[in-house]
Amino acid sequence: MPRKLTDNRAVYVVGVGWHRYQPASETPYVMLGIPAIRMALEDAGIGFDAVDSAYVGAALLGMAAGRPMLRHLGASGLPLVHIENASASGSAAFRHACIEVAAGMADVSLVVGVDKPAPVRRAGTETGIPSLADDAIVPFTHFALLTNEYAHRHGVSPEDVALVAVKNHRNGSLNPHAHRQKERSLDEILGGKRVSGSLTALQCCPVGEGAAAAIVASEEGIRRLGIDMSRAVRVTASAASSEKAGQFGGADAAITGDTMKAALAQAGRKATEVDVLELHDAFTIEELHYVEAMGVCAPGQAIHLLKEGAFDIGGQVAVSPSGGLIAMGHPIGPTGVGQVGEIAMQLRGEAGPRQHRDAKVGMAHMVGVGAVCYVHMFERA
Amino acid sequence: MGALTLLKPDLYGPAAADAGGNPAGPPVLHGGECRCGAVFFPLQPYGCEVCGRHGDDLRPRALAGRGALIAAAVVHIHQNRPGPGAPARQAPFVVGSIALDDGPVVRTLLDAAEAPEPGARMEARLVETGGETPTLDLRFAPVA
Repeated sequence: MPRKLTDNRAVYVVGVGWHRYQPASETPYVMLGIPAIRMALEDAGIGFDAVDSAYVGAALLGMAAGRPMLRHLGASGLPLVHIENASASGSAAFRHACIEVAAGMADVSLVVGVDKPAPVRRAGTETGIPSLADDAIVPFTHFALLTNEYAHRHGVSPEDVALVAVKNHRNGSLNPHAHRQKERSLDEILGGKRVSGSLTALQCCPVGEGAAAAIVASEEGIRRLGIDMSRAVRVTASAASSEKAGQFGGADAAITGDTMKAALAQAGRKATEVDVLELHDAFTIEELHYVEAMGVCAPGQAIHLLKEGAFDIGGQVAVSPSGGLIAMGHPIGPTGVGQVGEIAMQLRGEAGPRQHRDAKVGMAHMVGVGAVCYVHMFERA
Repeated sequence: MGALTLLKPDLYGPAAADAGGNPAGPPVLHGGECRCGAVFFPLQPYGCEVCGRHGDDLRPRALAGRGALIAAAVVHIHQNRPGPGAPARQAPFVVGSIALDDGPVVRTLLDAAEAPEPGARMEARLVETGGETPTLDLRFAPVA
């Protein structure tokens, strides 16, 4: 039987940092990544020389982005690797850093997600297998189709689905690292630029630039370096999967359900025990799909809970208190790492105006084109 | 169909002729069937997504151009970047997911001005594309 992460050494998140997610600018990626890493090191109270290995999550920067950035922190000769896994690049980088620390091959590992917008070349379009018109069905249209299917099946209106964006823009307005920091009314969201189907621009995530960093460490590393254990957040589950045959169209929600359930089992928690959930809401409909896939409520019921405020900060479970991909933004490489940072802040009680009361159990969820899925869970050490 | 050629003849073509020499039904899609029973579209020789069999275990199978609409959307924004397999397209246009009666789900352009209701019966048709050398391309449309 394969071992779970938690069958190995305990792994803790001990430092988190960001460079604000923002529209593309002249800032070189190096100066997005370095401030995020320095913030995470400072948060952990350690220097870069204490880091044993580095995982760089980036999807759009091109080959070998890590060393030209990390060398400015003092080139210690540490092993470093780049991980590209579409939207889940940062989540995958985080998982593999955790695995290395859990295995005992590193005591302290750095995870950094960094990206800048660039033309995307998708290998899936270059398989040699022709398609009827896949060029006409880009990601926002994929989710417009899923919105139409969900709305029809459950008798939900496009106005209802847009309420996800009202909540997440409100959360983002409280987050200094968010790409979009403005509260938006339902009318503003529905009246904005039409994109595809019932989706409007403010219901789709902005893809800009930015960086997020996290330091993970073993107990041994924490003791040896004198890191403050009272602020450490334990990684209680790491689960990952990819699409199976026959899941065409509904793959993201199907693999989300399976992967979240695997993570909950690892952590010994029920879906209803999660206090803070950061999920992949690149488009509004996804939040409804994924909370239902998780088992928080029955299919078609998420909209009722959303309207009652159950997913607000202070509600039954705070869903995407960072603002989610819709407001926090989705610079690709950083996104999954930034989720870990938000959950660490929430579980430590350091999330300021976004603080969810009594947050004890956190979950971070990402999907990526492919489809792939990652779920991590966290509890205060 | 006259002298017009098909834009993607590897993917679709007219249905087989009936006794009178006319196509017996809407255009067919060139799918495949694996020895394991999996039916897929389009035909490809690489390997079966369900069981991994390949080569002679994968055989061509014509899929009737009929099905039910799962979902549709009017696309309002499209970055027009023509390339191989990506002809110039002008938004708005309508796309849909169709569950073919023969099994596979396909997504493609609809020959419709608005998004039809999910559940609508759909049929394939070959429509003339614009441009300097008009060709026929497959679209799905609600059955009248």
